Amino acid sequence: MPLKLKGLNFVRKKHKIQPQLTDTNAQNFRTMKKERLLILSIAMFFSYAITSCQQGQRQEATDLLSDSLVASDVRLDDRMVGEMISSIPNPVEMSSLLQKSGVVYSQELLNPVNNVNNYNTNFKRALNLGVYGTDLVYMNIYDRTVATLRYLSNVRDLASDLRVEQFFDYETLNRLSESARSIDSVLFITNSGFDRMSRYLIDQGRSNIAVLISYGTWIESLYIATNVQTVPPNRDLINIRIGEQKKVLDNMLLLLHTYRRDPNFVGLIEDLMELKAEFDKVTISYVYAEPTMKEIDGMIVVVDNSRSEVNISEEIVQAIADKVSYIRGKIIG
Amino acid sequence: MSEEILKALMQLFAIIAKQDVGLSENERAFVHNFLRLQLNESSVKEYLALFDSFIDSEKDKEKKDENPDKPQKPRLTSVKDSVKTLGIAKKINKTLTQKQKVVVLVRLFELVNSDKNFTPQRMAIIDTAADVFNISKEEYNAISSFVVNETPDEINFADTLIINAREIEDNKSHFIQSQQLDGSIIILRVNSVDLYFLKYTGKSEILLNGLPINSQRIYLFANGSVIKQPKGKPIFFTDVAAKFLSDSSAIHVVFQADNVGLTFPNGHVGLRDINLQEYSGKMVAIMGGSGAGKTTLLNVLSGIDAPSQGNVNINGINLHQKTELVKGIIGYIPQDDLLIEELTVYENLYYSTKLVYRDLNEQEIDEKVNKVLTSLGLFYIKDLKVGSPLNKKISGGQRKRLNIGLELIREPAVLFVDEPTSGLSSRDSENVMELLRELTVRGKLIFVVIHQPSSEIYKMFDNVIILDEGGHQIYYGNPVEAVIYFKTIDNQINSDVGECPRCGNVNPETIFSIIESRIVDEYGRSTGTRKVLPREWVGHYREKIVVDKKSEQYDKLPNAFLKPNWFKQLKIFFQRDLFSKLANTQYMVLNMLEAPILAFLLAYVIRYIDDPTSNIYIFRDNENIMPYLFMCTIVALFVGLIVSAEEIYKDRKILKRESFLNLSRSSYLCSKISILFMISAIQAVLFVWVGNSILGVKGMYFEYWLIFFSLAALANVLGLNISSAFNSAVTIYILIPFLIIPQMVLTGAMFSFDKINRSIGGGREKVPIIAEVMPSRWAFEALIVNQFVNNEYEKQFYELRKLESVFNYKNVYYIQELRRYVENYKSRVLAGHEEPISTDNLELLYNELRKENHSEYAKFHNIIFEDIDKINTEDFTMAVADDILRYLVRLQDYYRENFNRIHDNIDNRVTQMVSTPEKREQYQQVYNDYFNDYLSKFAKNVMAPLPLVRLGNNLVQKLDPIYLDPQDRRTFSFRTHFLAPNKNVLGNLFPTFYFNVMVIWFFTVMAYIALYYNALSKMLTFLENTSGKLKNKFSENAFKIKGIKLRKKKT
Repeated sequence: MPLKLKGLNFVRKKHKIQPQLTDTNAQNFRTMKKERLLILSIAMFFSYAITSCQQGQRQEATDLLSDSLVASDVRLDDRMVGEMISSIPNPVEMSSLLQKSGVVYSQELLNPVNNVNNYNTNFKRALNLGVYGTDLVYMNIYDRTVATLRYLSNVRDLASDLRVEQFFDYETLNRLSESARSIDSVLFITNSGFDRMSRYLIDQGRSNIAVLISYGTWIESLYIATNVQTVPPNRDLINIRIGEQKKVLDNMLLLLHTYRRDPNFVGLIEDLMELKAEFDKVTISYVYAEPTMKEIDGMIVVVDNSRSEVNISEEIVQAIADKVSYIRGKIIG
Repeated sequence: MSEEILKALMQLFAIIAKQDVGLSENERAFVHNFLRLQLNESSVKEYLALFDSFIDSEKDKEKKDENPDKPQKPRLTSVKDSVKTLGIAKKINKTLTQKQKVVVLVRLFELVNSDKNFTPQRMAIIDTAADVFNISKEEYNAISSFVVNETPDEINFADTLIINAREIEDNKSHFIQSQQLDGSIIILRVNSVDLYFLKYTGKSEILLNGLPINSQRIYLFANGSVIKQPKGKPIFFTDVAAKFLSDSSAIHVVFQADNVGLTFPNGHVGLRDINLQEYSGKMVAIMGGSGAGKTTLLNVLSGIDAPSQGNVNINGINLHQKTELVKGIIGYIPQDDLLIEELTVYENLYYSTKLVYRDLNEQEIDEKVNKVLTSLGLFYIKDLKVGSPLNKKISGGQRKRLNIGLELIREPAVLFVDEPTSGLSSRDSENVMELLRELTVRGKLIFVVIHQPSSEIYKMFDNVIILDEGGHQIYYGNPVEAVIYFKTIDNQINSDVGECPRCGNVNPETIFSIIESRIVDEYGRSTGTRKVLPREWVGHYREKIVVDKKSEQYDKLPNAFLKPNWFKQLKIFFQRDLFSKLANTQYMVLNMLEAPILAFLLAYVIRYIDDPTSNIYIFRDNENIMPYLFMCTIVALFVGLIVSAEEIYKDRKILKRESFLNLSRSSYLCSKISILFMISAIQAVLFVWVGNSILGVKGMYFEYWLIFFSLAALANVLGLNISSAFNSAVTIYILIPFLIIPQMVLTGAMFSFDKINRSIGGGREKVPIIAEVMPSRWAFEALIVNQFVNNEYEKQFYELRKLESVFNYKNVYYIQELRRYVENYKSRVLAGHEEPISTDNLELLYNELRKENHSEYAKFHNIIFEDIDKINTEDFTMAVADDILRYLVRLQDYYRENFNRIHDNIDNRVTQMVSTPEKREQYQQVYNDYFNDYLSKFAKNVMAPLPLVRLGNNLVQKLDPIYLDPQDRRTFSFRTHFLAPNKNVLGNLFPTFYFNVMVIWFFTVMAYIALYYNALSKMLTFLENTSGKLKNKFSENAFKIKGIKLRKKKT
């Protein structure tokens, strides 16, 4: 697995480079000050010094460039990752289900807008890009277009920091979210944006980011589903859907395992293992039924009558909800 | 004369008259005559009676004292009389001026002379009086000799002048020959007071100013007087005065104007054929109706304007060609004040003196200034501020005298004065004119443009030049004669009388009413047509008056005075300006408060907290930082312009005068500039300090200051340019928006350069040329780039992010776009299109691949497309396209690989930096304090509709301009896209901040050069003249066309 090895290399490199870098930064700062004195005497010399100083920093940056190409044979692994990511339900499915179940919109459930300022690392950014993406969808389904703008901006900012901004046509989204009628378009663009983004990331050899985004999306969906209030109180459908996530969780764990050499991922895996413990209490039985044939518009269609039966108690749901809240709190914090 | 004085005089006369032999008839007649000249008939009787009563009372007393037995023998003057005389003389001393006292003394002599009874007692009384009057012994003797002696042979003083048929040998007196004169006219000059007395010893009927002279009497020979004899030439005051001055120590100046004419560049004629010749010690009036060209003539004569015909010579040296040789001896006092209002009377003179005399030390300068102040009668107000004409601290007369004093300190030999009396009371006018008149005594030649002078003033002149409309010279000569001349031509009665026989008044207005009289129509209404046209007056003038131009032996002119060197001048100008500014509290306070108040208003208003739930201000969240930077540039421009816009304009009169001093313009300008720069530097400190502190812009004070200061400094010099080129304050302030608004529009802040009119260069790769000449754009760019690149947060990552941005762009957009062209070609070939790829697209591919081959990263990756030459219409085939695609894929892989590398590296750094909660806190703090979101979005051009655009056959990156170094590295291509972090200098990269600062200073230097050579004002005059000429041509053509039409009608 060359990709992971490379990642590991970087981690090691980072440790070596870091102290050196802070030193040079301080040095740069000091020389800058000295140069300020110099400008009073010789402006030209000063600016020349500045140029060379910047060139120094520049040199350091270009040192990171590889002088040869790394053979790009990592795709096989990534294709599998891509398939697994697409098997994870996207936020739109979850949200429309919630709407159908008479869930009351609750702003408090969302990740506060200003939290975006705390996400400095790609790890945090990717997770929360998923979180905010889900929030955005949730809001749009309930026509909360005014507040949408801030979330849209967050999604855009995080995507931009991750350098995947090209998948969000900010201006179009902005325009669309101004009118309630174009909600479907917003949802579509957001959703397809996320889809294309993950494909792109995988393609670019940054599948770890894609995994993190979909992990964030999934946790946030789960979080909303476990915490919503319904009117009238009818959580059956929701609970069933929550129970169904048992399978998804397994996939998710598998995905995360791929990156287990990254300490960040290790933390995620540990959290997910705890959640898995709760989900293990959910039983899913598969009831087989004979498929039937049906004629629809002159076409003969085979209907699969088998179904899964999810057994999940309120207590389990509550336990899952608590765990999800805990995990989600770690993500957005 | 006051009653008291007259009484005192009567007493004095009585004391003298009653001495020894007592009052004679002649003496009484003299007193009678004297009184008649002063008073009306009834008062004369009253005072005569008073005189008689004084005589009687004296006699009575003496009779009582006298011992009848004693034989009468000459006695000495009694002590009582002496004491009395002393008392009276002292009383007179208190009220009369020195001049008047001299006149009184002469009258006393005359009294005694009326009977030729020069007894020692009488002389002793006069002696006492002269003593109290402070009249020097020499002058006393001269006066005595002048009064007592009858024949010119007996008078032998340098202070007398004799007009006689033949010259007396061995006599110190001056002499004027007058062949047909019976007897002699003797003139005495009392030097100390510059008074002339005249007496006549012959029997002819001699007229003084048109009045007959009594040979018994002594007359005051006043300025402008004329002596006329039955036969022979009249003798003018100036002839006499010139004789006295001819051998005074001052240089003798001969001032000639030969056929001087002036045609303005717009074709109007200002002066025609002016001729004159003048000498030192004369005062010449230039008169004429309004618009006749008086000031124009003055300007030509003084060398300010060059004549278009003829020449002006001073002692044979052409004033306009050898300016350097003569400039120093010319002084000019314009109509307006030349005073620096904020300085005191003393300081005004002090700095003028310093500018003129290089070698004097402080003490000598102080002495000189005090001397001049005393002679001007301004010593007692020397510490008063001059103030403006509206906010008067000193009177109009005092202002004028001080103006004259500024010139006096230099003692120019020729002085030009423009309307010195305008706006002054008649008393002040006379004072000022007397001051000028006194200067002629010291040998100065003075030309005065004067309008409606009073009789007193008019008569002070030695000569008058009268101009008529269109700059015609229609009279040149004695002022009183002028009245007679015009009256005669106009056939008026009494045309031979110049001044009123009773009061001696001359009314110069008569001249102008004659010159400009209009034809009256049958209803008695005056029409617009003049009776006598200027041309005709010129005809009369040519006929009757010949300007006597003798070529003489000229004195050598003194060397131009030794002016201080460049640095000294700079220092003096600097001090003068600085102190005048410091003295102006309002100016200082406003200027010092302007910047911080503006900064406070601006910064306080735009400092806001983005998060409605929070109370903590976060710099990073403030979206107004970019607009703040923009406002910084605008405020700098505004403040810089305002502070300087009026500077030179305010000084222009002083400059005009000082141009005669031959001082260095550059030292003047540098002094101005250094003071303005000082003010701007302080304003910049205050603005940046207040503004940045409030908004929490951290750690960039110096850079902000440098930009604010540089821009304000440029605005200072620009302001000086307009203030030196335009001639009214209103124009200057109207101009400021013209200078500011384009700079606002083309800064790049309000309107993106991608979204402005394409015809001026909008939407191109580089900044539009029209914006390149806007200093504000350079300043704004420098501020943005500096704020973004050099802030403490971004500094840690900038170079990495730059690479990240480049690779991201190439990977995501650029190579993708290139692939699209090639794939498009392939699909079109497969579809069987005739022309699968256009020439343009081929060229684009060629251009871009060539660029890639030479990119600075090529040396790292060595992925070169070798068959670049095959990209042309002939050689481009499917095979080449596949090659390109393979090449592009490899390139893209490289960029992707390295993008990931850099991207992860940055992320690892950050992860490291936030690894613990404390570190994270610290990181967040730096991030919040130094980084600004909105500004960085602006700098990254996040809002750009397209990350790259096709311009011609090139692809141009629009995304992340702040991370994009200029692509064009040819030696002299300085221009780049907006917000480039570095600029190209001779093929090397140079940080934008300092590059832009240098560009601004380059503009400043250019503006200074323009200022030094007065380029703007020259351009304006050129435009004015061409438009004037065009207008003239147009109207001429219009006439021609009309003429042709009329002729056609006739035929």
